[in-house]
Parts: sequence; structure tokens; C-alpha cells
Amino acid sequence: MATTRDYEPNVVLSNQDYNVVGTRPLRPDGADKVTGRALYGADFAAAGLLSGSVLRSPHAHARIKSIDTSKAEALDGVRAVVTSADFPQGGEGPVVWQRDNVLASDKALYRGHAIAAVAAASPHIAEEAVSLIDVDYEVLTPVTDVQSSMKGDAPILHDSLMTDELGEKADKASNVASHFQHVKGDVKAGFKEADVVIEREFTTKTVHQGYIEPQAATALWNNDGRLHIWCSTQGSFAARDACAKILDIPVSQIRVVPLEIGGGFGGKIDVYLEPVAALLSKKTGTPVKLVMSRADVLQGTGPTPGSYAKIKIGAKKDGTITAAHAYLAMEAGAYPGSPVGAGAMCVLAPYDLENALVDGYDVVVNKPKTAAYRAPGAPNAAFAGEQVIDEVAKAIGMDPIDFRMKNAAKEGTRQVHGPTFPRVGYEEVLEAMKSHPHYNAPLDGPNQGRGVAVGFWFNIGFDSACNIAVNADGTVTLQEGSTDIGGTRASIAMQAAEVLTLPYEKVHPTVVDTDTIGFTAVTGGSRTTFATGWAAYEAAQDVRTKMIDRAAQIWEVDADTVELEDAVFKSKSDPELSMTFAELAGQLGRSGGGITGTAAVSPSGVGGAFAGNIVDVEVDPETGKTEILRFTVVQDAGKAIHPSYVEGQMQGGAVQGIGWALNEEYYMSDSGTMDNVSLLDYRMPTSLDLPMIDTVIVEVANPGHPYGVRGVGEAPIIPPTPAIANAIENAIGTRLFALPMNPAAVAKAVMDK
Amino acid sequence: MKPFKFEQATTAVQASQTHADAAPNARFISGGTDILGEIKESVLEVNILVSLAGLSGASEIISSDLGLEIGALVTLARIASDQSIVETYPALAQAAESVATPQIRNVGTLGGNLCQRPRCWYYRSPLFDCLKKGGETCFASDEGNKYHAILGAENCHIVHPSDVAVALLALDATVVVSNASGDRQMPIGDFFVSPDVNMLAENVLEPGEFVSKVKIPKPSSGTRSVYLKAKERQAYDFALSSVAVSLEVRDETITQAHVVLGGVAPVPYSVPQVDSELTGQKIREVDVQAIGQLAVKDAQPLSDNSYKVRLTASMVARAVSRLISE
Ligand SMILES: Cc1cc2nc3c(=O)[nH]c(=O)nc-3n(C[C@H](O)[C@H](O)[C@H](O)COP(=O)(O)OP(=O)(O)OC[C@H]3O[C@@H](n4cnc5c(N)ncnc54)[C@H](O)[C@@H]3O)c2cc1C
Ligand code: SF4
Repeated sequence: MATTRDYEPNVVLSNQDYNVVGTRPLRPDGADKVTGRALYGADFAAAGLLSGSVLRSPHAHARIKSIDTSKAEALDGVRAVVTSADFPQGGEGPVVWQRDNVLASDKALYRGHAIAAVAAASPHIAEEAVSLIDVDYEVLTPVTDVQSSMKGDAPILHDSLMTDELGEKADKASNVASHFQHVKGDVKAGFKEADVVIEREFTTKTVHQGYIEPQAATALWNNDGRLHIWCSTQGSFAARDACAKILDIPVSQIRVVPLEIGGGFGGKIDVYLEPVAALLSKKTGTPVKLVMSRADVLQGTGPTPGSYAKIKIGAKKDGTITAAHAYLAMEAGAYPGSPVGAGAMCVLAPYDLENALVDGYDVVVNKPKTAAYRAPGAPNAAFAGEQVIDEVAKAIGMDPIDFRMKNAAKEGTRQVHGPTFPRVGYEEVLEAMKSHPHYNAPLDGPNQGRGVAVGFWFNIGFDSACNIAVNADGTVTLQEGSTDIGGTRASIAMQAAEVLTLPYEKVHPTVVDTDTIGFTAVTGGSRTTFATGWAAYEAAQDVRTKMIDRAAQIWEVDADTVELEDAVFKSKSDPELSMTFAELAGQLGRSGGGITGTAAVSPSGVGGAFAGNIVDVEVDPETGKTEILRFTVVQDAGKAIHPSYVEGQMQGGAVQGIGWALNEEYYMSDSGTMDNVSLLDYRMPTSLDLPMIDTVIVEVANPGHPYGVRGVGEAPIIPPTPAIANAIENAIGTRLFALPMNPAAVAKAVMDK
Repeated sequence: MKPFKFEQATTAVQASQTHADAAPNARFISGGTDILGEIKESVLEVNILVSLAGLSGASEIISSDLGLEIGALVTLARIASDQSIVETYPALAQAAESVATPQIRNVGTLGGNLCQRPRCWYYRSPLFDCLKKGGETCFASDEGNKYHAILGAENCHIVHPSDVAVALLALDATVVVSNASGDRQMPIGDFFVSPDVNMLAENVLEPGEFVSKVKIPKPSSGTRSVYLKAKERQAYDFALSSVAVSLEVRDETITQAHVVLGGVAPVPYSVPQVDSELTGQKIREVDVQAIGQLAVKDAQPLSDNSYKVRLTASMVARAVSRLISE
């Protein structure tokens, strides 16, 4: 549907202007990507490279009684076969889980679980060899959804897993790894004060990040004992450290070289292929490459969990929320560690609540171990929480944005899990939503509806490092360790350019390997532009100081009398003394040597981000198909270093949220097999399924960052599912409590009305 | 994927002979968009692929007073955009346009589309040795059958995946089949067979036989046709349910009707009771909802696909309603 616009489609409500920060230059990796030259994980080549293939479990739950690899080993062209027995043994808890997830030891815990791997002269031989491996399985009953897995009679995945019940270990094996609570005030008393109390239950299915590039890793375990890994990863240091743990060798023995990455969204933080390729390389003495197929990716890497939630909210007629209780249970997959903890921190975060209780359950099931996916846990929680908020607002006859504004969290609000909000931009986001032309435009037709919802993500800081070197021609090179999944080479370089008063084009950023830069945490948690950007800011300050010192030394004046402005060094006292950045750069060799700046930071001033959606849908009541007519994302970015890439994050989050809302799901059979293991049957939206997604960037500066940056990568995936559900409710007069809201589900809801 | 031989045929006889000689482990390949997927996913093992892509005369669309002849190698993209097809056989152009994605339509051929294998996800997974692959069970009979048949299926519940076939049946097309000794032809309705007739194939082709062209009679003036397809997403998706309708209307009265359902049965599914119900009706008096209901009267949905019954009724109602208001 074509909409005529009477408004600006992409708006930046700006707080402060800089020279480079806030502009929209081209990305340094753009040319290579659009010409097909960029080297991705699977493109890596080396002399003597062997191809690997992984044998995966056909059963969702089975005891591995024995593995016979002799026939595979005997096949011509096969160079090595490995199983979990080739890993160093011992340890307990997370390291064993991580190791077992990479190659199963005693039990296969999901269909697609890696069992053994082969290195051979060609991919075809490797594939054939894999089919010659004989595994003797004792097939067990699987349990693949959180509610069944929590029942007393559910098949147990881990005999040694006892529930951590509010800090106390239970004494009986269970699939519930932990139950925790966040408590504030007295919910019982709070619900008594309410005029309206609404309680609802919700379920969501497992969904995958759907990055376009499947995992790929090449390892060379060299004769000198050093292990080199070339892979597609969101965190080269995270991959290095995980491999070090699994292989039980010092981190200094491993060098991880991150190649160009074709999407991650959280799913490329954990290692899958790297330690296996390393084992194969150790056995063969040559580099070995492993590449996943799409079916491997869907079945063998970490998706985000299916979940169950029960939400109860009470409010007075005047709109004050008196109490809220969120019960969240999320699937961890085969090993403990679902994102329920993060979901629990976010579910009620937008609200200033006197009385609140959050219960969280981390539950293992026979599905792949979940991994991060943009704001892990928060979308599942928001799908539930933001629908009940909508229903309560309706019940007391309040506009849903006004209702949120009345209860909005702000600076000083204590969150249910403890911390108090610093300056946040939630009210500003709500105001921008309320006054947006979209919110005030009429709907035109039957079966159309509008919905709103909001989401919060806390974002993270952690370690980042950056090196900057001045070139004789007046440019600088910048090295950083954050792999670039969203345009961060540009957004990091821009912050250095701003400090050095250089045009963006004079800063050449490169993502380097783990031998070349200081420890840098993963590209995740919306931290990269914030934390690695900060490292670049500090490294640039270092360069600036050293350059000023050098100018002062050449001019024989005091350094505090020299300033850098618009790429020109000037003496404050003598107007004759002036030299461009490039002129000084050209003299460095003769005046004492080159200049480099360096920084390693671990910033604490992380700023959380709020995002809101306004969405219009039209539902076909007979076919059940929902069309998204119009979609607007409003988000507090703190400061948008590169507004186009912030808009890209907002639009991308909305697109993934729309897919999650309307179609995507792991379609599981009772035997625990995912039936829809291709991108044909696992339906992510195409461009034809989406409208133009409008954005409004709100800038409420984060006081904890030099340019006010908050993370932006995750918050935008949180509100879409509830916003769409709320819109559907307004369109057809009935609410959907389960994802996905696909045509069959919506048609059924209309029928059952 | 196992290694296989690739044979580029230059004549129909050579193609047929090579295929027949190597049966049952030979397959034809035209655009390769379907068969290469099967081979790569280890669903199919072949010794030899016989390419039809070099056959002369099989890439033409010939339009005459008698009707239309479309060579088996004509791509779906050409069918979707050919002026004579768009104007005179709209259901066919619409069906071709609704297939997959532009990339697949640019490469996928008419012959390959008609002879493509089922999309049942158990069939497409090497893990499941189901009836259709010569195994003992149908894995879709009790679960995992959201996209399966609601009509005309006994043991194997596939739906025929081709959109184009549905439109061709509504347009009374004839399939021309070549073999080493010449040609034979049959109404397209007789070309497709359900699993109850032959579990291992979806059509009547014998070893050495391939589709060389499709003929469609010229519709009388007053004939209109349409193809509608319900899918979960707007591109890159097979039909949840589809319908092709061809109506001949004279003096505001329906004089001939052919309604064919897709995505709901193991073959493109004609519903003769609907055709006869429509025939003779004044277009202003047609109760399209009742027609839709009649089309799914015999539906026997499985555990996960009862939504298809109402969906299909509604698709039929919409298609008929569209044509009678043209
Ligand atoms: C992602 C995806 C989405 C799709 N979506 C749709 C859709 O929505 N609707 C739809 O209708 N189709 C869809 N298809 C199927 C697609 O239309 C077919 O793959 C294509 O039409 C096949 O044509 P081809 O020339 O590439 O066939 P090939 O792959 O070359 O052959 C397909 C089969 O037909 C046989 N064959 C080929 N030519 C002949 C012939 N002349 N005579 C006898 N046998 C022959 C081959 O042996 C093989 O078994 C989709 C396919 C894909 C991969
Ligand atoms: S529906 Fe047919 S193809 Fe699918 S599992 Fe059953 S027998 Fe096999």
C-alpha cells in the first residue's frame, strides 16, 4: 500500500551538533561488500587446506553408547576423525556444558547436536566419511517445550542438574536449572488497592537470528604449538577464550583472526566449529575448514528461546499502576543459561512501580542451547507485559501512551531488580510517539487497527582497546578489536575523527586479530559504539596530546599554549605559529619519531535505551493474514554518532520483530525434530512483506559517555511483537496470546471470537 | 552429495535414450532449481543427469487461432510476462508470476515446474525414509502436517507444489510427452497421478519420457480466468491454498466453468460438482460463499491443517466473485 507522506520519514531530534559526529559518511567496508570482494568465513583459503564435516545427532534425546569411527577412518582421503573423547576431559559445570555442546559426550541432547567430525581431502569425501560413522544410541524421550519440561514427570536431561531455588540447591534432579525472584514493595497489598486487575498467560516459540552467513571456521594448530583460527565471530577474544577453556590451553597460545561477518545478532558469540576444527588440525597438522549448511545453522547453533509468561497488573482508575507480577519461564535449550535473567530485568523496566514481583525460571529442554539474539529475553517478556499494559489501559479507558506516561520510569526510579535509573529518555520517547503524525493519522478501513508498545534494554560496557597511528600524509590508522556487524568501523572512526578535528575520511579503521590489540569484549549488548568508541576517543586524545606536545617542542613554546582546531595546530600566544595536522604529521620522523595513541577502557557509564513502536495493521479475517500498513520506531539513542546506521538498527530490529510476530517459529515434531529446517519453510519476512519503516531518533544524552552515546542495537527488537499484537486486537477485537500470529492462528482467533 | 555424470542432450531421441538406458538412476534436468536442491540435500542420489536445456524447439511460445503451445524449456518469467498469455490466459500468467522469486522464475522452466517433486518437509529431509521414498510410514499423518493435503489423500498427504499446473488444468491444457519413438499427449488432468496410484511419482512419465510442450486451446470470447494464491509471505513461498477458475459467460449466464484447487491435494484438484453447480447460473445470482463451501465439502483435514478448509472456501469465493464482476 502506498502512503503519501505529510511528514519527514526519518527524524533526528538532536541534542548537540559536532563536526563529524552526527553526520552520515560512507562505511569503509562498503566497496568490498558491494563488489563481492569482502572475505567472509567460508572464503578463507590456505595451502594444504582440508575440508571438514560434522556428524549430527538424528535424535533429540539419546544416550551415546558407543561411536565406531573405523569405517570412516578407512575411507580413502580421510585424514582424521574426532569425537568428544579427543578433548581434554575433566572440569564441571559451564565448561563441561560448553565442551559437550561442541561435541556431545555421553548424551545427545538435541537433534543436530554434533557427535563427531571428519577432516578429508574434499568436502564430498568428508561428507561420505561422516555417513560411515556408526553411533550406537539408546533413544530417550525428548521434551521440547518449557511448560512440559517443568512438569514433575518430564524426562530429565541432566542427572546432575538440581534446581537452584532462590539461592538454595534442591536435592533432586530437575530440568529447572534455577528459579530467582526480584521483589519490590508488597504486591499483595498493591493488587488490593487496584480498581482493575488483569492477568494473562502467553507463549512464544523458539526463533533464530537468521543471519545470512552460516558459521565457518578454519583452524591451524601449528607445529610451534600455537593455534590460529580464522572465523566469522562477534567476538574474536570471546572465541579465543572459549577455545582456550575447551581445549585447556593458555589464551596466549591462540590467535583468532575475525573475518568479515555476514550478520550475527548475538548468534555468533558462542563457538561451535572452532574447537572442533582445532582438534582436527591438531590431528592432521594441516589447516582444516568447517562450514555449516543452513540446516546445521538452524539445528546446531543457538536460537532464542521459546517461553511461557504469566503477567498480572493492577491499576487504579486514575491510571496509577498499584502492583505488577511477572512470571517468566524460558527455555535454555540443552544446557542451563536461558536469557530469562535479562528478560526479568527488562519486563517491567518502563514503569515506576511501588509494588512488583518478578519470578524467573531457567529451564533445559531438548533443543539447541540458546544463544543471544538482540536483547535476549526482553522481546519474549515484552510480548506478554506490553499486552497486559495495553489491556489495563483499555479497561480504565486511558490512551495507551498516556497510561505509560503516567507510570513512566525516569531518572531516580528504582528498578525492580535494584538499580536506580540515571538520566534516561523514556518520557521523551513517549512524547515523540504521541506527537508523531502516525499516531494521529486516521485509519481507513475495516479490520484495521493500531497498536503501540515500548521496550527497554540496559546495554553493557566492558573492555575495549584501540590503537591509533599517525601517518606522514596526515591521515591516521585506527586498529580495534570489535568485529563490525552494524557499521561500527565507521561509528568508532568518527569519534576519533571528532577528537582529532580531522575529516572522517582521514581515519582508516581496521578490525584486527587477538594478537594485535588489547582485550576487547564481544560486539554485543549494544556496547560497541559506546565502549570501543570510547576507547577510540581516549586513544585519539592520546594522539592529540602527543601531537600538541610535538608542535610545542618544534615551536619551543609551552604545550598549554598550543591548541588543535579544524585540523590546524595554533599557538594561542603567537598567531604566526600555525601548522596543519598534515604538516606536523609530515615532520614527525625528523622531530623525534612517529606518534601512536593507545587506550584500553572499561567504561561504567552505560546508558539504557528505550524504544517504542506505533504500528498499523490490516487483518484479512478469512485468510488470517496480517498486513503491516505502517510502522514507526521511536528510540532514544543518546547521541546518534552515525544516524543512518542507527536508523538501520531501528529498522532491522523492527523487521526481525515483525518476522517473529507474524511467522517465524521452530516447528517441532513430537520426536523433537525441527521440521522447517530451510529458509523456505522457516519464514523470515521478505521486502514485499514490509512497509517502509519510519524512524524517529530521540537524543537524550547519556551523561556517562563523552558524546552521550547509548547502545542502539537491541532495544528496537523488543516492542514489535506486542505492538503488532495490540494492533491486531484493535483490528479484530480479539487478542492473541501466542506467537507467531500467523494466518492460521489469526483465522482461528477470528473464528473462536 | 554423491558424484554423478552430466549428459547434455542435443536431440529428443538422444535425451530419451540416455535416460531410459540409465533408469532408474537417471533424471532429467532443465533449470535445475528443484533437482539440484534434492541432490545437495541428499534426498536424491542419481548416477546421471540428462540435461534438456540444449534441445531445440522447446523454448518457444507459439500463439495461433487454435490456441497456445508452450515449450517445456520456456521459463516461468517468460510465461508471466508474455503478452499473449497475460491477455488471453491470465490465470496462467498470474500463476507463473506467483512462483517463488524472480531469480527462480528466471531459471525455472515450465517442464521442471510441472515435474518438480513434493515439498513435504519429511520428504525433503534425508532423515525420514517415508512412503514416498519407498519407506514404510508417512510421518505427516499425525503431526507436522500444517502444510499438507486436506483433499484426495489416503496414505501420503503431499500437496502438489506447482502453481502453474493448477492454472493449466483450469484452462484445459494438454501435455505433450516425448520418448524415443515419438510423442504422446494427454489432458493435463490425466498427466498427474495421486500417491494412491503411484507412490513414487507424481505423474505418468515412463523411463525415457519427458514433457516437451503444453498446449492450451484458445478460449472462446466471453471466457475469463483468474489465479489466486494464499501464502504466508508475499514472495518465496508455496501456496497454503490456491485456486484457478475459468468461466465462460454468455448473456450474463455462466455457460462453462472449471474450478481447480492447488496446495490442498496431492494433484491439482478439480471440483466437478462446483463446475456443474456454477454452469447455467446467472452471474448476478451466484452465491459465492455457497460455492466456496461446496468446493471443500469433502475436505478431511489433518491435525494441524483444518485452517485450510475455510481458507480454501474463501479463496474459491473470492476468485469466482472476481470473475463474475469483471
Ligand atoms: C525456494 C523455492 C521456492 C519455490 N516456490 C515455488 C512456488 O511458489 N510455486 C511453484 O509452483 N514452484 C515453486 N518452486 C519450484 C520451482 O518452480 C521449480 O523448482 C522450477 O519450476 C523447476 O524448474 P526447473 O527447470 O529448474 O526444474 P529442474 O530442477 O531442472 O527439474 C525439476 C524436476 O523435473 C524434472 N524435469 C525437468 N524438466 C523436465 C521435463 N521437461 N520433463 C520431465 N521432467 C522434467 C527433473 O528431473 C526434476 O525432477 C520453488 C522452488 C524453490 C527452490
Ligand atoms: S506426506 Fe508423503 S512425502 Fe510427506 S511424509 Fe508422508 S508419505 Fe512422505
